[in-house]
Amino acid sequence: MRLYEYEGKQLFKRYNIPTPNSVVVGDFSELDKVVYPVVLKGQVFIGRRGKAGAIQFANSKKEAETKIKELLGRVIHGYEVTKVLVEEKVEIDREFYLSATIDRTKHKPLLIVSSEGGMEIEEIAKKPDAIIKHYLEIGERVEPYLGRSIARKMEFKGDAMLKVGNIIVALYNLFLDYDCKLVEINPLVLTADGKIIALDSKVDLDEDAMYRHKELMQMGIEARHEIGELTKREKIAKKAGIPYVDLDGDIGVFPGGAGFGIASIDLIKHFGGNPANFMDSGGAPTQERLRLMIGLLMDNPKVKVIFGARFGGISRCDDWAKAVVQYVLENRPQKPMIMRMAGNMEEEGRKIFEEAIKEHSELFKNIKVYKFDTPIEEVIKEAIKESI
Amino acid sequence: MSIIIDENVQVIVQGITGRNASLHTKFMLDYGTKVVGGVTPGKGGEKIHDLPVYDTVAECLKEHPAAAVSSVWVPPRFAKDAILEAIDAGIKTVVVITERIPVHDMLFVRKRAKEKDALVIGGNTPGLISPGKSLVGMLPKIAFSGGRVGTVARSGAITYYLANSLNLAGMGESTSVGLGGDPILGANFEDVLRLFEEDPETDAVVMAGEIGGVYEELAAPYIKTIKKPVVAFIAGKAAPKGKRLGHAGAIIEGNMGTAESKVEALKENGAIIAETLSEIPELVKEALCGKQQ
Repeated sequence: MRLYEYEGKQLFKRYNIPTPNSVVVGDFSELDKVVYPVVLKGQVFIGRRGKAGAIQFANSKKEAETKIKELLGRVIHGYEVTKVLVEEKVEIDREFYLSATIDRTKHKPLLIVSSEGGMEIEEIAKKPDAIIKHYLEIGERVEPYLGRSIARKMEFKGDAMLKVGNIIVALYNLFLDYDCKLVEINPLVLTADGKIIALDSKVDLDEDAMYRHKELMQMGIEARHEIGELTKREKIAKKAGIPYVDLDGDIGVFPGGAGFGIASIDLIKHFGGNPANFMDSGGAPTQERLRLMIGLLMDNPKVKVIFGARFGGISRCDDWAKAVVQYVLENRPQKPMIMRMAGNMEEEGRKIFEEAIKEHSELFKNIKVYKFDTPIEEVIKEAIKESI
Repeated sequence: MSIIIDENVQVIVQGITGRNASLHTKFMLDYGTKVVGGVTPGKGGEKIHDLPVYDTVAECLKEHPAAAVSSVWVPPRFAKDAILEAIDAGIKTVVVITERIPVHDMLFVRKRAKEKDALVIGGNTPGLISPGKSLVGMLPKIAFSGGRVGTVARSGAITYYLANSLNLAGMGESTSVGLGGDPILGANFEDVLRLFEEDPETDAVVMAGEIGGVYEELAAPYIKTIKKPVVAFIAGKAAPKGKRLGHAGAIIEGNMGTAESKVEALKENGAIIAETLSEIPELVKEALCGKQQ
């Protein structure tokens, strides 16, 4: 889960990693707290923000106000600017790169540093000599001597070497303490007057470890996509604990577990349909949550038909059937539901449907539940037909 | 034969007093799995489905020294602790049903497992099954029948659909292994492919991956050397970038973890690529016929 630059820098401050004097603009009175000239940085999750127009400069408070007004609300590569970080401009002498991350191939944490910062790491990495990698043992911290020796390899000397050594130690402590997947400072700059400053921040947290970092929520850091904010429907889903992602199409997907959810999006597209969403409706959801899931799809005005599947493993067919039946009885949906049900407690589930259909045939006339002997592709094709 | 579990293997259940663990312990027993006991700290002395519950894995193993597999069903914040407890008590195969285990916790678990030569399967695995012999986890038995195709997949539901479609085409599984949907896994594709390659009762392997991470790519060079045919399927061709799709591990991060990169790596190294799930049985049949000729 990516943090905004200003959030990452709040964490940097906790670890005494120097950042420029700054304010995050919500209200313009804050603009008196910085010394001009300043850099105005629209907070969006993209690289090369300068080129995309998210970064502006201002020599006075008045100029800053005008430019911030232009920036706020702008949509840059799909991300809306809702906050602007106003930072005092620093005179850059040289740029460097520092990061701590996890090597997913070796299953080990590593530090990557370079004396050529400022570009994306993929660019820097094109010159292998420009990068120094240092792997760490799991559970190990960066001792001060290691920080210094890496700083030396980056060709820092004297006071700057000591400062960068400390920053490397701090960066790695932050990486471990907050369960990060990535902490990156790019660029770390040496200023014309000899200061070392983290000019940008990129912090990627492990959402699954957020439960042990409650203070992040107090800092106003909310659940979001790995990169980007949630849509309205995604927020409702998140609140209810339902993994859900909005897509653009008209077939609501109520698929069972995540893996099959991913595959069913592929299949719908493969056969020429358009999924309206990704959803994980597996993991033994309660009936209440199952009804919420169906409601989420039904209430989406774009959705014309719902494709559903339940292969009961940990999530039982009878629970699923009860939830679907109760939803239909309570909400009398008009949109058709084309579904398949197989797996644990299948017979019990089938009986629940049969009884409901017998009693309320009119309500269930648009609802089909196929058995395990109908291939899933056929069910999907039928759902696509209903969406045309 | 089969891999990892057979009709004789003795199994314990960590977190046995939870709703899901208790229900699936019943299903495992009904299937014929030799579940011998369970562990829930603080609930030692209780009984679940007539099985004794212990406070610690060590106590459980003292009474059931032949137990070789533990399945872990505890909430994610206790998962690292439970897996380490099993490994330190001497369990050599730990099947981790728990999902969304923090990444740094799993890195530590992997390190300990390597030191103690233990096989950790998961997190977020549905478990594994050697049809007709043993089932560890929460897979629905109806999806599987005995045969000579090994399957290994990251997702539970894909595992079920896969086996189900093999069965409808007249084939069956030697063992089906769920690797799990978390970003950092214990066992990966290569580990399981090696076991299938050595298993005399497995003729072909189906592997089903999905977007996110690099486990499919990491297995590719080994596939080049394997003698048995490998049919591979990757889910997530139509997936958006930068968004987790249900599984904590199912996310395209930057350029890492795309379906294209995985399909390409597997194809280059000789895997037979299935575009959709339903093509798989036919591809397996063709591969097996080709081998016999």
